[in-house]
Amino acid sequence: MIRRLGLPAVLIGVWWLLSAGSTSFFWPPLSVIARTFPATWTLDPILHDVLPSLARLALGYTIALLAGVTLGVAIGSSATLRACCEPALEFFRAIPPPVLIPVIALFAGYTGWTSKIITIALGCLWPILLNTVDGVRAVDEVLRDTARSYRFGRLAVLRHVVLRGAAPRIVTGARQALSLGVILMVISEMFGADRGLGAAVVQFQRGFAIPQMWTGIILLGLLGVALSALFHLAERRLFAWRSDS
Amino acid sequence: MTTVLSVDALAKTYRSPGRTVEAVRDLTFDIGRGEFVCVVGPSGAGKTTLLRCIAGLMPGTGGSIHLDGTAVTAPPAGMAVVFQEYGRSLFPWLTVRRNVELPLAEKGVPRPARRARVDEALDAVGLSDSGNAHPWQLSGGMQQRVAIARAIAYEPSVLLMDEPFAAVDAQTRAELEDLIRALWHRLGITVLFVTHDIDESVYLGQRVLVLSRSPTEILADLPIDLPAARDQLTTRASPRFTALRAQVYTLIQRAKAGER
Repeated sequence: MIRRLGLPAVLIGVWWLLSAGSTSFFWPPLSVIARTFPATWTLDPILHDVLPSLARLALGYTIALLAGVTLGVAIGSSATLRACCEPALEFFRAIPPPVLIPVIALFAGYTGWTSKIITIALGCLWPILLNTVDGVRAVDEVLRDTARSYRFGRLAVLRHVVLRGAAPRIVTGARQALSLGVILMVISEMFGADRGLGAAVVQFQRGFAIPQMWTGIILLGLLGVALSALFHLAERRLFAWRSDS
Repeated sequence: MTTVLSVDALAKTYRSPGRTVEAVRDLTFDIGRGEFVCVVGPSGAGKTTLLRCIAGLMPGTGGSIHLDGTAVTAPPAGMAVVFQEYGRSLFPWLTVRRNVELPLAEKGVPRPARRARVDEALDAVGLSDSGNAHPWQLSGGMQQRVAIARAIAYEPSVLLMDEPFAAVDAQTRAELEDLIRALWHRLGITVLFVTHDIDESVYLGQRVLVLSRSPTEILADLPIDLPAARDQLTTRASPRFTALRAQVYTLIQRAKAGER
């Protein structure tokens, strides 16, 4: 635990010391930022900015996870489907999701939840989908033969062989998608949204509320840490069989 | 003796654009209930092809296979396969117990009966205490024991074994050979054992089928008239064992030379 907290403590210490006497408007002392934090993130912004942002992230991410794994299993299991889809997949993957925001806005509008959820889901989809395809393809042939020779049904093969076998790759994709999701959550709010964590940071910056802007960035970082811890917990449960039972 | 498995004029030719490989030309043999038959051949004799066809994992391109009188077109219910790659044929994320139990669950065996059969099978291979371990926690020989337990718990008409002991060390191998002989004796199962090891085929089998080089035919069907009670020391040192071993060895050499 000490090892894990050591570097963050040092970084905070360095920031604190370096910024202590700062008179720069854009680099306020960390002590000022820390004092601003509780005043900035009161119940109202948590209820109306932070939680809605997180809810959109959760929704978009879940959609991407379900769609990515479903499509990935289908594409990974069928050579024909793979041959048809792969060039298109590579094309769509190469498009940075933020450039789709204006396009999505044409159909779903800038404000409201729909366009943001679509943006997050579309961005998170690719790493999950492509990793699932690779994971399904890499499932051991001997294991597949074993399941076949014991006449496993389709569902049992899916559950016990394909999904479990592809799980390490799916998790890799899901982890990449999560950090991408946080980025997209913020970016999706930077275009014409008035509420949300990303929107709040932009508004602070535009209103020259610099310490408040910094608190928003710190809050985002903390959320990232919390989400990654949550992810790690889920991963530990999923791969418990690898450690001593 | 009633015939359990009958292979009739089995042929397998692999065809891909621009390339045709005749792996198996003409294989015909029967296996009676309760028999222990070993299949031995030079490397590249199409042993794996033969086994995959019999297991219903791959269709032949000619001839037919019948198990208990029913044509084999897909993996049949009365067959269990023990693969050479034990480390890859066990479900690494399931415990030893669950590995043995899962095929039974898929077969629709009710839970109490399933439990009993898993217990019996694990006991039979000497793994009663390892039920809650995961495969990676066991040695290679123990992992193959799990695969054997899984196969016998399935109660197949024919137990197919594809060079099951080729990847374990010599001492473990001798132990597993004696284990499979003992299980065969005790449970009265039918075993078709594919190997490239001449000594192993003679030591284990009641009959040894010697395959020709690819495209494969049966070169010889040799009865092994060693006493039923076999022992690593005395059996392997007996003159009869040596004679049979020499006979199979000669046949394999002739097979390598292209005789069919």
